[in-house]
Amino acid sequence: MADSAVSDAPVSHDDHAHGEHDHPTEAAYWKIFAILAVLTAVEVLWSYLGLSGPALVVPLIVMMLVKFVLVAGWFMHLKYDLSILNGRYFTILFAFGLVLAVAVYFVVFASFDWQI
Amino acid sequence: MTDTATPSDTGLDVEDLDAAAADAAADLDAPTANNAGDHGADEHDDHATSLGLSNMKLAMWLFLGSECLLFGALISTYLLSKTRFLTELVAGNPNVIEGLMGEEAVEALPDGTRGSIENVGEIFQEMAAEASVEPIFDIPFTSFSSFVLLMSSLAMVLAHKATEEGDYKNQRIWLAATATMGSIFIGGQIAEFTIFFREGLTFGGSLFGSAFYTLTGFHGVHVTGGIVMLMALLILSFRGKLNSDRAETVELVGLYWHFVDVVWVLIFTIVYLIP
Repeated sequence: MADSAVSDAPVSHDDHAHGEHDHPTEAAYWKIFAILAVLTAVEVLWSYLGLSGPALVVPLIVMMLVKFVLVAGWFMHLKYDLSILNGRYFTILFAFGLVLAVAVYFVVFASFDWQI
Repeated sequence: MTDTATPSDTGLDVEDLDAAAADAAADLDAPTANNAGDHGADEHDDHATSLGLSNMKLAMWLFLGSECLLFGALISTYLLSKTRFLTELVAGNPNVIEGLMGEEAVEALPDGTRGSIENVGEIFQEMAAEASVEPIFDIPFTSFSSFVLLMSSLAMVLAHKATEEGDYKNQRIWLAATATMGSIFIGGQIAEFTIFFREGLTFGGSLFGSAFYTLTGFHGVHVTGGIVMLMALLILSFRGKLNSDRAETVELVGLYWHFVDVVWVLIFTIVYLIP
């Protein structure tokens, strides 16, 4: 721990310097919001088309995932979570929880013999 | 976790020790500078840490990672319960049908079909054609709530941006806007729960009801917690304690808020849009 502390000394300065300046501009935030709003509208319209099965579900899931990535990547700044020690610590932490959650989901389904 | 290196550590050469000494000296200086400039606040968010990352932000991300598990479990339970609920529905369980479609639907069931899996698929389809399977969800209403919550995320990032730039007027406007939109969402949820309850979808009435209220209720509690945090930030701002040095505090609340928003993105599609 102490060893890494020493080698990180310059990086800590980097952290100070990097600050929040890497984050998106105000215009970028509005653009992301516009995309999110359009996607939500398309999702709702899609659900009214009277489709069923994969034709209904797959596009909805895809749009949901795109919205998830947009919010996590830009609003939560995960896209900018780099350059510090060349690692993506926050993304890794969050992804760890996500992957574990999805794994639990499949384990639960498996324990019900995939009777879904 | 501060940067302290002791000579007892092996594998350090003289340059390392020099760097450690310089770092320790910087540590000693930091609190003095901070106290002078920041109303005696003893927290220094931008304190250099051994990982080069903010401990507070790391803790928030760890918390959000664990929250994924909580909502993952709730969504899984909902999906399982929903399927079982539909199985019961197809099997003609009168309690479930009453919970979903009201007493008339139960009365409409022909005698001798309840509990029997034969012929009931046909009856179910007839009923679905008449009453629609999801008469209870008001999609336009929930779409509006979802839109408001998405917009609150935009207000939140703008509040953070304004804090970084030292624009305290806009900071307060956007913080207040975020809290207001969160409150509108919660108001919508309360209205929705009231309508569902009156329609006969109760917490204890069916597996579907339990899973639905637990999932959306937990989310609602999270939004409410976020509103409390936003109000606390507003109070800090009016007291002059939320200056640009403390932008990370706004960012941390923002992370939580966006997470709650992103969970709703999932719930909206999985619970409301996919029948």
